[in-house]
Amino acid sequence: MNLDVLGLFDNDYDTEGFRTCSVTGLKIHRSAENYVKLFGLTAVVALLVGGIFAFTVAMTRWEVVGLLQPSDFYIHLSLHAWNLLIFWMVFMEIAILYVGGPMVLGRRLPITRVAQTGYVSMVLGALVINVSIFLTSPPDTAPLLTAYAPLQSPPAFYAGVILFIVGAVVAALPFFLTLWRERREYPNRSLPLVAFGAFVTSIIAVEALVGGLITFVVTFLWRIDLIQWMDAAWYRQMYWTIGHGTQQINLAAMVTVWYFLTHVVGGAEVISEKVSRTAFILYLFFINLGAAHHLMSDPAVSVGWRIFNTSYAFYGAAFASMIHAFAIPAGLEAGRRKRGKGGGTFGWLTNAPWANPVFSATIFSIILFGFLGGITGVVMGQMQVNMTWHNTFATVGHFHGTVAVGTTLAFMGLVFFVVRTMFQRRLSFGRMASLQPFFYAGAMGIVVIMMMYVGILYGVPRRTAEIVRNIPGTEFSLQAASPLFAIFGVFAILAITAGTIFVVVAVASLLIGDRVTGPEDNADLVPDGGAATDDKPVHAYEMRGTFLICLVFMAVFIGSYVINWYVLTELWSVGV
Amino acid sequence: MSSPLEIPEDGWWDRNINRRESIWLGLSGIWSLIIFAWMSAFTRIGEQNPIGVTYQVSAREYQEKMQSYKEAASERGDALVPPDTDVFIAAFRFSWDGTPVVLEAGTEYDFHLSSYDVQHGFSIRPEHALSKQMNFQVLPGYEWILPMTFDEPGVYHVICNEYCGNGHRTMHGTIEVVDER
Ligand SMILES: [Cu+2]
Repeated sequence: MNLDVLGLFDNDYDTEGFRTCSVTGLKIHRSAENYVKLFGLTAVVALLVGGIFAFTVAMTRWEVVGLLQPSDFYIHLSLHAWNLLIFWMVFMEIAILYVGGPMVLGRRLPITRVAQTGYVSMVLGALVINVSIFLTSPPDTAPLLTAYAPLQSPPAFYAGVILFIVGAVVAALPFFLTLWRERREYPNRSLPLVAFGAFVTSIIAVEALVGGLITFVVTFLWRIDLIQWMDAAWYRQMYWTIGHGTQQINLAAMVTVWYFLTHVVGGAEVISEKVSRTAFILYLFFINLGAAHHLMSDPAVSVGWRIFNTSYAFYGAAFASMIHAFAIPAGLEAGRRKRGKGGGTFGWLTNAPWANPVFSATIFSIILFGFLGGITGVVMGQMQVNMTWHNTFATVGHFHGTVAVGTTLAFMGLVFFVVRTMFQRRLSFGRMASLQPFFYAGAMGIVVIMMMYVGILYGVPRRTAEIVRNIPGTEFSLQAASPLFAIFGVFAILAITAGTIFVVVAVASLLIGDRVTGPEDNADLVPDGGAATDDKPVHAYEMRGTFLICLVFMAVFIGSYVINWYVLTELWSVGV
Repeated sequence: MSSPLEIPEDGWWDRNINRRESIWLGLSGIWSLIIFAWMSAFTRIGEQNPIGVTYQVSAREYQEKMQSYKEAASERGDALVPPDTDVFIAAFRFSWDGTPVVLEAGTEYDFHLSSYDVQHGFSIRPEHALSKQMNFQVLPGYEWILPMTFDEPGVYHVICNEYCGNGHRTMHGTIEVVDER
């Protein structure tokens, strides 16, 4: 297949098809690079589509604007969710697997035909899903992500989902084959940490996708009347294997990207292979159990099941995240101190390359994911506290804290990095590109906090077009939440603007950006201070800045926890 | 140089761990255990737990139960007054069957929650304190019996917060809690 469109796939490779990256030092094969570019570009297209619907959805929930009719709202919301939470993320994740496997290991991408088939199936699935949602008409309803049976969606939608899931599994096969061949050739070698992270991600992904396949095949059969009865409780349990499972893929992929980007642009090192890898192993065993927090306020699941899943086992994964929360900034701190960029407690952080959007996007991703997404995930995952969060707008705040700021920022940084090092283009509108992560992180951070507030303080439901100023058929309203919705609306516009700037910068750089002509053009991507010379082991460097940041994190975590429990115990009594 | 892009040097498992990292591991581990223990203990000592008995029930069976409940209930204005401490509520597009209902503060009621058609969300708060709200999933095919005791009199509003179709946002019910006589 000739992939050379608009000169985007034309790097200089040697006769074997390899080149050496001047930034990472990786030996990159043409096959792997081209597919990373292809999946990455497709992801950006999905981001653009989903972003358009972010605007219509946010402007409807901000009832002062009240853009859409209720009948259109859920369709737009569904398109927003599928394009951002699934297509933008999963296309990026396949690209990450190809970076974490073939590129890091210096191998070609095997069975490219299979990668191609997976890609085509994913794209077709995505198109079918988009079109079927867009054309939804009664008695069918738009599915959002959850498509909760027995509410029914167009049959084509379920078929599209199956096509997409199968495509994603197929697209992951070349990655697995790469690792299998590596093991056969070098049975006694450990994988590099990034490859190891990608491997863990891929296993979590396959678990989630296979669960999803079972769910949606059965649901499709029900929808075309081959199965008569659809049990709502069965559907919920099964659905959430993929519904939250996909978010666990995002998490594991994002953490892998954190290790990768803090290293290549910030000079971070791995302070303890043992600790970081153990944390990934904990993810492998426990993280999918986190999905159970969606069933905390459900009937039909036993208490023991709920406590085991969210508490006993899921905190294995929460613990793992807290491990990475230390290990990644500490790697940056130690790495920069080693290069003579220490300076006091926080000098390693303040003198870091903040003007480089790859770096700033990564750091904001780490901070905002931890403080906004991570803490709230654990708090709302407590069976009792969940009653105050379940299906309110606060839940929406939680997952925007994880994916809209956390994962999306990390992936934006990665896209910029791919533009620079793989497409070999300098970023257009340099200053705007530098500021973009600050702008997006700031605005989206506030949007997220407002979502949580209106959910917790006023019990504003999610999945509703309008309800704050007007619930038809009653005098009752949630008008008190209006001021917070005004802040939400303004900052949502700003965040969407920042997202637009990202797409404009990325696309303009590819189409009209200056070509990178030599290593000096990408010199700013290489961590300053050069390679460290002393042989003091990395764990012997000071990590007091990171330690302090982590203590602040722990204090906020405990504070949020206590406040949420306090709010809960103020309620009337419920349950046995 | 310990790079995440390179194969780690031999003996990486035996390398020392930075003292501060060890302390952090300890703190995180202890915190994980605390939140586990608290959640588990609260099911025994706490007043707010989403725990109740669940039975499988068809929509028709539940409609019949609702019918006999309504026949036994008395009326105050357009609101039901339950005959005893069982309160039946059924969600259907786009209304809450069994509401409005008048209950007494301080009495423990067994709420029976189910749906005639699709999934719904039982989201309830008093109109005098919107931040006091809680939320439960209501599933067709299942009858969930959830004990509740209201401390304060007032009008409590129920909004459906699970999408159940276009009229979803109009799905509203009220529970009036009055002082016990
Ligand atoms: Cu409803």
